[in-house]
Amino acid sequence: MSKECEKVLDYINGQLTEIERKQFEKHMETCSDCREEVEELRELMEDLPYSSEPVEPPEGMKDRVLGAVFAEESSAPEPESSVQKEDQTVTHHREHHTNQQEKSKRPKPSWLMRGLVAALALSLLGNLYAVISEPGQETVDEGVLPSESTDTISQRVQLQGEATEANATAAVIRQNEESLLTIQADQLEQLQGESVYQVWLITGETPYRAGTFVANESGEGAVAFSMDQLPEDVDWNAVAISVEPDATSETPQGEVILSSSL
Amino acid sequence: MALLNNVVEGCVMKHSDFEHYQKMLDGDKQALEALYDKYEKLLYSFVIKLSSDQSLAEEVLQEVFIKLWTHKAKYDETKGKFSSWIVTITRYTAIDLIRARKQDSFSLEEETDVPEQSGESTEDIVEWKEKSETIREAIRQLSDEQQRIVELFYFKGCSQRQIAEQCQLPLGTVKGRLRLALKHLKQHVTTAEGGIHDV
Repeated sequence: MSKECEKVLDYINGQLTEIERKQFEKHMETCSDCREEVEELRELMEDLPYSSEPVEPPEGMKDRVLGAVFAEESSAPEPESSVQKEDQTVTHHREHHTNQQEKSKRPKPSWLMRGLVAALALSLLGNLYAVISEPGQETVDEGVLPSESTDTISQRVQLQGEATEANATAAVIRQNEESLLTIQADQLEQLQGESVYQVWLITGETPYRAGTFVANESGEGAVAFSMDQLPEDVDWNAVAISVEPDATSETPQGEVILSSSL
Repeated sequence: MALLNNVVEGCVMKHSDFEHYQKMLDGDKQALEALYDKYEKLLYSFVIKLSSDQSLAEEVLQEVFIKLWTHKAKYDETKGKFSSWIVTITRYTAIDLIRARKQDSFSLEEETDVPEQSGESTEDIVEWKEKSETIREAIRQLSDEQQRIVELFYFKGCSQRQIAEQCQLPLGTVKGRLRLALKHLKQHVTTAEGGIHDV
């Protein structure tokens, strides 16, 4: 019985941070007790949703929901052909459609926020249905100071947001063998309390923390983030900035204000 | 006879859910719509139970079907029933959105607009039809503390620590208590089903 074994419940309920989750999944590869417990609890909970009292959905909900769902795909290439590379197609396409979606009545999370929420749920499902698949690889090189170097920009994008005046540019800079992500933002709002701007790099469905900042008096903020802290050999397909309640969010809790695909 | 029908119906349903799911993956909108029609009410009612919030429930459904349609969320037929899978996605989506909204200082307290219950129509979901009363009864038979643990863990998505605090239990005993409560529930449901095992 190791310390990890105490995390079963929080694992099932998605209460672990990304790193804790990966550790726990690695732990489960060798701990059959935990594996069985997760499976058992999942089975035991299977009937619980059926305890719900039937409630009539509101008028027109089907049209609204399916309308929004199909709108996400409406100008993408034929779905048949996009199956293979759905991530990319979807990401690009959704960016184009942001404005249309904003017209709906209720405030909706932006496309990226939706993607992130989806990402979390999907990764949780991954937990439950493909417990042993992921070879959690987190290598953190600490204390390696970069020597002098000639840096080059390998990628540069402008982040967009619908509900903000703020602008931001993200650049990935090659420095020796390493990559740095830099963000420069201006016209930022001053945040209250412990709130911070949090940068995320997203691969597939998974967001990774990639630097935290606050705005100075002139509404400017910047980040330089060593990408060596992140998993290697990963295709980053988006970068986003969200407002987080404090500097500790392991997954986006707050609203995404700016984003761009990479 | 009724039971036999249900079992047969159950097999047919399961089969066609998976068929619909596969067609949906190929971009068949009608297949997605069929899944929507079948599960709308169950999922909606379930989220209302989790959140007591109509607008959130609609948003959750939207997210869930976006996950199916746009993200092509992966369902593996060998790992369990489609209904369990879609309900699980719904639960996580709801819990995530509830958590996200809690960050918003206002919303949650004021938005508890519990809608009218719609009577006994549980539509064409076999498990719902068969089990709902049994499960509610089984939950009522748990001790207050057990009910509370199940409520906090499953329906509110609380962490182990939160449950320990709210139920004033040592952290280490929460899992055991939850497991016991869930086992009681399962036992009750299985007995009430007269030993006929769900497919």
